[in-house]
Amino acid sequence: MALLELSHLTKQFGTFTALDDISLGIERGEVHCLLGENGAGKSTLCNLIFGVHRPDAGTMLLGGAPLHPRGPAEAIERGIVMVHQHFSLVPNMSVAENLMLGRAKAVLKPQDIIIRMEQLAAEYGLEVNPQVLIEDLSVGERQRVEIIKCLLGDPQLLVLDEPTAVLQPDEIDALLGICRQLTLRGKSVILVTHKLGEIGRVADRTTVLRQGRIIETVAMEGADIRSLVRSMVGRDVQSAGSVLAATIDLEQDAPAHPATGLPSDVNGAPLVPEAAGDAVLRLSDLVYRDADGVTKLDNLSLAINPGEIVGVAGVEGNGQSELGLILAGLASPTSGSIVVGGQSLDGCTPQQITAAGVGIVPEDRHAVACIKELSLAENLFLGAIGKFSRFGLLDKSGRRKAAEAMMREFDVRASSSDVAMSSLSGGNQQKAVLARELSLDPLVFLLAAQPTRGLDVGAIEAVYGRIRAARDAGLGVLLVSSELEELMAVSDRIVVIYRGRLVGELAAGSFSREAIGAMMSGHEHV
Amino acid sequence: MSMSKLVLAMKRPKSMFGAPGAGFNLVPLQVLVPVLSTLIALGIGLLIIASTGGSVSEAIAAFWDGMAGSDYNIGASLNRAITLGLVGLGFIFANRANLTNVGGEGQIAMGGMFATAVALHGAGNLPFGLAFIVSMAAGATAGALWGALAGYLKAKRGTNEVISTLLLSFIALPLVYWSVESFHLLRKPISDLSSLPESPEIPDTTKLPLLFPDNGSPLHIGLLLAIVAVVVIWLVLKHSTLGLRLRAVGLNETASRRAGLRTSFYIILAMAVSGGLGGLGGAIMILGQQFYLTSDFSSGYGFDGLVVGLLSRGSAVGVVIGALLFGFLRSGSINMEITAHIPSAVVLICQGLIVIIIAGSAILTNRKSNR
Amino acid sequence: MIDEQMAVFIGSGLRLAVPIIFAATGEMLSERAGVLNLSLDGMMLVAAFAAALTSWATGSPLAGVAVAVLIATSVAMVQAFLSVTLRANQLVVGIGFNILALGATTFMYREIFGPLSRDPIPGFAQLNLPWLTSIPVIGPALSHQTGLAYVSILMVVVTWLLLKYTSFGLAVRAVGEDPRAADKAGINVSRTRYLGVLYAGALAGLGGAFMSVADSNTFTENMTKGAGYLAITAVIFGGWNPWYTLGACLLFGFATALQFLVPALQLDVPVAVLLLLPYLLALIAIAGFVGKSRQPAALTLPFERGG
Repeated sequence: MALLELSHLTKQFGTFTALDDISLGIERGEVHCLLGENGAGKSTLCNLIFGVHRPDAGTMLLGGAPLHPRGPAEAIERGIVMVHQHFSLVPNMSVAENLMLGRAKAVLKPQDIIIRMEQLAAEYGLEVNPQVLIEDLSVGERQRVEIIKCLLGDPQLLVLDEPTAVLQPDEIDALLGICRQLTLRGKSVILVTHKLGEIGRVADRTTVLRQGRIIETVAMEGADIRSLVRSMVGRDVQSAGSVLAATIDLEQDAPAHPATGLPSDVNGAPLVPEAAGDAVLRLSDLVYRDADGVTKLDNLSLAINPGEIVGVAGVEGNGQSELGLILAGLASPTSGSIVVGGQSLDGCTPQQITAAGVGIVPEDRHAVACIKELSLAENLFLGAIGKFSRFGLLDKSGRRKAAEAMMREFDVRASSSDVAMSSLSGGNQQKAVLARELSLDPLVFLLAAQPTRGLDVGAIEAVYGRIRAARDAGLGVLLVSSELEELMAVSDRIVVIYRGRLVGELAAGSFSREAIGAMMSGHEHV
Repeated sequence: MSMSKLVLAMKRPKSMFGAPGAGFNLVPLQVLVPVLSTLIALGIGLLIIASTGGSVSEAIAAFWDGMAGSDYNIGASLNRAITLGLVGLGFIFANRANLTNVGGEGQIAMGGMFATAVALHGAGNLPFGLAFIVSMAAGATAGALWGALAGYLKAKRGTNEVISTLLLSFIALPLVYWSVESFHLLRKPISDLSSLPESPEIPDTTKLPLLFPDNGSPLHIGLLLAIVAVVVIWLVLKHSTLGLRLRAVGLNETASRRAGLRTSFYIILAMAVSGGLGGLGGAIMILGQQFYLTSDFSSGYGFDGLVVGLLSRGSAVGVVIGALLFGFLRSGSINMEITAHIPSAVVLICQGLIVIIIAGSAILTNRKSNR
Repeated sequence: MIDEQMAVFIGSGLRLAVPIIFAATGEMLSERAGVLNLSLDGMMLVAAFAAALTSWATGSPLAGVAVAVLIATSVAMVQAFLSVTLRANQLVVGIGFNILALGATTFMYREIFGPLSRDPIPGFAQLNLPWLTSIPVIGPALSHQTGLAYVSILMVVVTWLLLKYTSFGLAVRAVGEDPRAADKAGINVSRTRYLGVLYAGALAGLGGAFMSVADSNTFTENMTKGAGYLAITAVIFGGWNPWYTLGACLLFGFATALQFLVPALQLDVPVAVLLLLPYLLALIAIAGFVGKSRQPAALTLPFERGG
């Protein structure tokens, strides 16, 4: 008998159907992957199982008995736990306190929790200090705490929602190892991911979701990755120059399509181009210490030339966010200099930086790039509110016309320019941000940080198309991404950031996943 | 539909009380709720009066009389509404930047105090017009500084403005008390007739001219000022670049900074204007009707004005309606007590009920965030 | 002469601090869970009236206290329903309740007590604990308090224990800091917040009852005179910590008592300065000039699952 039996589950949010007639069985002791694009319904399905939402139709059976949790507490009681993308840990409480949250008897007994924690650490290799505050832990360590928390109640089913997005390569290996350990002990794991490589390494079976429906469920023995991708996306992705095609090949360790014509020398060794005198961006010995005195950028030096895409590879948390904040003018470097097109940007306001020709597509567009409650038109001209005004009063129709022109040029789809930004899909929001930044005049340099996060395949292609076009028009582009395969498919050269400094550089034509992955984890490339 | 389903169906409010400046997509509901709440509350009030043996008909008659029974009463009601409206406008202005100014009481107090001080010490010698204009300006400036202080603390030190404006209110009130207690400050000298802690009467030139000097109505030109304020504030909030900037800063400070807005400046500006309107309201109270300063002259106007602002949900028109409602209610209640001997506390009960009912029904009028 | 003045001053300071201690301690727990009760003043007022009325009607101040707690907790229940379930604006609800409470108590006081306002209300007698008298300086004042005053200190201890050593306290802290995480961990956010508000109500009830049947044996209109706001201020000044809040309450109590001492000592300090001192201190504290005090991150923000 299957451990978890889902029958004809349907879930709607308003008029949007997130899940449509889902029927699926999860066996005991298996790792079952849910594969799908962003927006396919994977997270919604997990939320139904975990009791965050209730299905509009359909039934769930756990071990043969009906399952309809009215909240996470009930799901946890029934033996279902979930490791979330955004963890369920309270930042200013300690590890031990977080572990006790929701499961302690009336009076707290930290000792019991610590003993149990040590048991689990021994069993699965999940070491953590119980007294430390969550906010002082790294992302990988937090995830470890989250997993321990889940294992405390000896659950039957673990649901992991995109757990590897924030992990270093060796941490990913450890996590996948834990998944296997769990199944050896008879537990089941549902792993939600969009990374094909991981599926190959750990899944027993994979279910592909697309637009709220199950397309197929396959056993991984002898499965064809390409056909899985076809199911996931709904069409073949073999078009030349397609980033996704390159990504698939890279994940399968096939030789990478050459991204551009940049030369490598006869032996395939990297040819690092000398930074030309007229670099569009030159960072020199950039140091940044955050409010707690931790050094986030450690003498980082980099030069970007016109007409090139420089990819920055690295696991999140190694200084990319801080670099982005500094380039956007939202943080000041502790020391070091930034020069754009010959002009020093030291001590400049965001407005001055933009005027110098710097465009930014930040990694967290909701926090930094756009204001989602405002309309699309208002966001498109957020940096130039006074542009469409007369005597201080807004010229709304003038602004609307200009916004519609931008929408047409950059294929931003929305019912009108007056709708709230939040009603646009993630892909269209990103296109809008790109539209705004690429329309800046002057524009010499573009920073694109995690530009494809949360986007579906069509939007990803569009975004990279724009970035390549910008590069071809002579812009210098700094592309920061934790999607290594995408970087390899698009960049002219790749630098690797680790603990706030650049630890390696490779030119196109000599990109290698092992080499870059090793550098991302801090190991020297031999 | 069960209550929990109703609850789950609503989107989480973006600020403390739903999207500021929510549009009029559901006009009937926006208007229906306050009207119904008022009727229900007044109905309960009448029930209370009846249950304690009072005469309902007498109560209603006295109430109506107090509100609008004579030119004088109408004028007095409108005068009250002016101050309430100004405080309410100040509230929604700051609220546009997602700032909650609950310090209306203190800002009124500071405004009245400084207006009196200036009126008593020199403004009286100014030519007609300037005399009361300067005095009003002094009051508005005092209120603006009081508000700006909270704004500065928020912008530079991250201090929650709800708490800081509340505290500043409780600091301002004793200061007014001090000023009328102390002969060194504003207290009028002891005479044969009285030795009350209050200020001398302000010179005639500093009093606000009446609109209808012949028919005995105390309504003064402050009404014109209030009308101008409503129009200007409405224009600024809905159609100006400043309004959009305030809105941006209030919704997302980081993105606003990235877009080049000087967020500290706008936060302080919003609180200064908000406090200034409150200060103006206080100045008008003294210069327009009371003519001398007492320690408790602001009694409750600040909180009532705050409630008017809160209930208006960001709309200048809503402030006007709320201010008129509360202004007339207050007049009616005073007269009801004097004439029909029914404690004005009954109207307080009604007011409290109105506020609670409207607040509780916010869940029905909350909808997806929109302009 | 000075000793006597001192004793009176200390005694007054403690007495005046007690209702604030009750209200602030309860409110601190509620705010730790993320709910701000501006209606604290109203709850205290209603409790004071209920205690006075019951004590007068039954002759038993203890019954007065019991009814006061009951009534204040009921008001808190309605407040919780509005703030937590209906997710109404906590500020509006709080101010609305204060207006309502003032109106209701004033009205009922006039109706019931109007002609009888001269009658004293049975209240608690002062205890005389001999073993406290021997403490230097504060001894005599400390021993001449009513029993309820000692209960206030007890409640501070109870609250501290609750927050630090029970799973309820853990839940409260989590819910006020990050309700989303708490919800995913299986905590019932609504129920925790409800309980927090009810706790604040019950303690506000004790505080209000103290004012009318232990402190002054009478009820007067608006007798709380903003004590509720002072309690909220004390919570802020005390950085949402039970012991610092207690300290703040004592400080404010003594600051209020100074108002009476200063004229007696014929010092030339304007009373106004003493009146505004507590709020000024709190403002300085909250402006971050005195250490870093961090408010519960989710304070006043309503919570909705999956939003």
